[in-house]
Amino acid sequence: MTGKELRQLSRDYLLVGAVLFLFTLDVMMAGGVKMDLNMATMMVHDADHSQASRELIYRFQPPYFKFGGEILNQKEGIELLDQGKALVVLDIPPRFQHDLIQGKPTSVQLQVDTGNTVLGTLAASYGGQIIGRYGFDIALQRMNITDAGLASVPMLADSHRVWYNPNQKDAWFMPISELLTIITVLAMMLPAAAAVREKERGTIEQLLVSPLTPTQIMLPKVVAMTLVILLGTALSLGLILRGVFDVPMKGSIPLFFAVTALYTFAMSGLGLFISTVSRNLAQATMLIIMVMMPIILLSGAWTPPEAMPPGIRQAMYLSPLYYYIEMAYGILLKGAGLKLLWDSLLGLTLIGSAVFGFGVWRFRRQFS
Amino acid sequence: MNLHRIKAIIYKEWREILRDRLFLSLAFFVPVSMMLVFGYGIKMDVENIPFAVLDQDRSAMSRDYLHLFMDSRYFDYQGDVQNERELEPLLADSKIRFAIIVPPRFQENLLSGRPAPVQSLIDGTFPFRTATSKGYVIAINNAFNGKLLAGFISKKMGLSPEQAASLVQPVKLELRYLYNQELKSIWSIAPAMMMFILMMTPPFLTALGVVREKENGSIYNIYSSTVTRAEFLIGKLLPYLGISAVNVVILWFMAAQVFGAPFKGDPLFFFLASVVYDSCTTGIGLLVSLFANTQVAAMMITVVVTIIPSVLYSGLLVPIASMDAASQFEAHLFPAMYYTDIAIGSFLKGIGMEQLWGRAGALLLYTLVLWLVSYLLFHKRVRA
Repeated sequence: MTGKELRQLSRDYLLVGAVLFLFTLDVMMAGGVKMDLNMATMMVHDADHSQASRELIYRFQPPYFKFGGEILNQKEGIELLDQGKALVVLDIPPRFQHDLIQGKPTSVQLQVDTGNTVLGTLAASYGGQIIGRYGFDIALQRMNITDAGLASVPMLADSHRVWYNPNQKDAWFMPISELLTIITVLAMMLPAAAAVREKERGTIEQLLVSPLTPTQIMLPKVVAMTLVILLGTALSLGLILRGVFDVPMKGSIPLFFAVTALYTFAMSGLGLFISTVSRNLAQATMLIIMVMMPIILLSGAWTPPEAMPPGIRQAMYLSPLYYYIEMAYGILLKGAGLKLLWDSLLGLTLIGSAVFGFGVWRFRRQFS
Repeated sequence: MNLHRIKAIIYKEWREILRDRLFLSLAFFVPVSMMLVFGYGIKMDVENIPFAVLDQDRSAMSRDYLHLFMDSRYFDYQGDVQNERELEPLLADSKIRFAIIVPPRFQENLLSGRPAPVQSLIDGTFPFRTATSKGYVIAINNAFNGKLLAGFISKKMGLSPEQAASLVQPVKLELRYLYNQELKSIWSIAPAMMMFILMMTPPFLTALGVVREKENGSIYNIYSSTVTRAEFLIGKLLPYLGISAVNVVILWFMAAQVFGAPFKGDPLFFFLASVVYDSCTTGIGLLVSLFANTQVAAMMITVVVTIIPSVLYSGLLVPIASMDAASQFEAHLFPAMYYTDIAIGSFLKGIGMEQLWGRAGALLLYTLVLWLVSYLLFHKRVRA
């Protein structure tokens, strides 16, 4: 029976192609998403045109900013921001250099498009750092403190270490997140589709008159689809995550696959349940989307638990993906083992068996 | 083209949709629940970052310094640890996302006029959160530094604290946030979600609606009837377009009323542009349905061709201007980008037809091409 399911799947070339695409190219394309500020276009209204103003402008450099050109008045700046042609507009007042030399406080204005809050926040933060640093350098110059003299100034010498992803490469976070999402979708969709298709085409009648118990009809579907998903995951890990993005994979790979198999089984239970309440695939798809959305959202794939409002934070414990993500990032990026992850594993096992048991129960009941 | 026959097809399709109660309710329910789930679930505001402290100095100054973090609304103090090894399991288990280490002799160094090292450890799993957290840390450090330096200078040069402060910080920064002054992430997410949901659901409905007929064979009734290709396609699409147009209004209402995103633009223009966008995405579903023979395949292809461009090439996550040339070119090939500009522009920026006609025109052109290609590819004759 498992062979039958696999063969049936392998004959739907489009479906096989789509599954392959999702596990390889799609994961790769997700690596192209950079959430950091990248070459944000900056326009400058420079009313001073002095050496000081040029030096300040010059400090807005790639990778965060790129100089988009000069504008002549504020109105033009607003228009460019309106049309999305600039993300930030820097406004340098007349007599900027004059004031600096005279030791008078002066100010520059940074207008930031916060239509996209993520980029807006980052642009403001980086812009603030650049201008702060510029002011600090001017202040040191004015007080005749050289680099060597800095050793005799009381100030913080701060250093920052970023763990697990030292270069803050989005290329690690996004593809892993995408892979986990794809596993979730397929783990529900493939078994549900396999079960509903039999109903829709009437071949379920054939299976019913055969000497197979409902469990014998159902289990092969789940096993076959789990195999397909594990195979795809292996492909994705080896070819894309390791091959293209050099994800370190610090932890135990067998553990990762064991956890993935457990998770796929749990989610296939949901898929089976959906197949029992829908009459055709169109309905099943809609239901899968409905079920999938909260599962993904409550999982922390996009928003970590601490950023969720308190009520929702508790609801996260209900999402199987929450435990799976915790373990997947833990194993792949942080090199965590069972000693740290046992609680997530326990959570996934409990939720997973409940979900799977429920799906199986519903599936068997529809035959009686 | 016979209006009567088109009406008949529409009627037939409509009855079919109506009779599939589950499908019908899901057609409206899915977009609404997606909007709710995304709206409440995606939080791009970086606040309450859980952090721990390793204070090896335990002096008045180190406490003052650490209190800057504890009092900040961006950070959420989780406790003290005794040595550096304790931090690692906390970070690995995601109990904290950030730790700050103050080495011994912090106060001694500062009081005797020497730099004092401090170190921060940041969890890099969510890169955008990492970058933002680091920005907060640097801002706090700079503020602390400014005070230290001003104190140092006023003592050394005998200036008043105010004079010293202005000397330390000669250039003030005035930040002006445009369009979303309070930096509420939901204000930008809600309009962008309209783009995303309207990209996903209409093609699904359409593709499944058409492929279903292929899969269960009822399409042969159409093949053998007098209905022409154009009549069939138009009749088939209009009901789905109607559903999507209603969804536009529902989602719009939710974005503005439930999530409070301000709508500053021209309502009529926005509605028309949204309907054009809908017909465009419906056209994508139609095109998919011509290639797929089974509903599963139709679903998968739709996922592939809609989700990816709408996430990657829409300007939702990455502004188009920041992409490399190849990605920029690809972005211009997908309709999502144009509609993102229209939605954000209409909601937050308050611009209308005058600035956005080009984008609306691109969507219209896209729609015409999709429908035309579908028309040319759809054959009533079964290929031998």
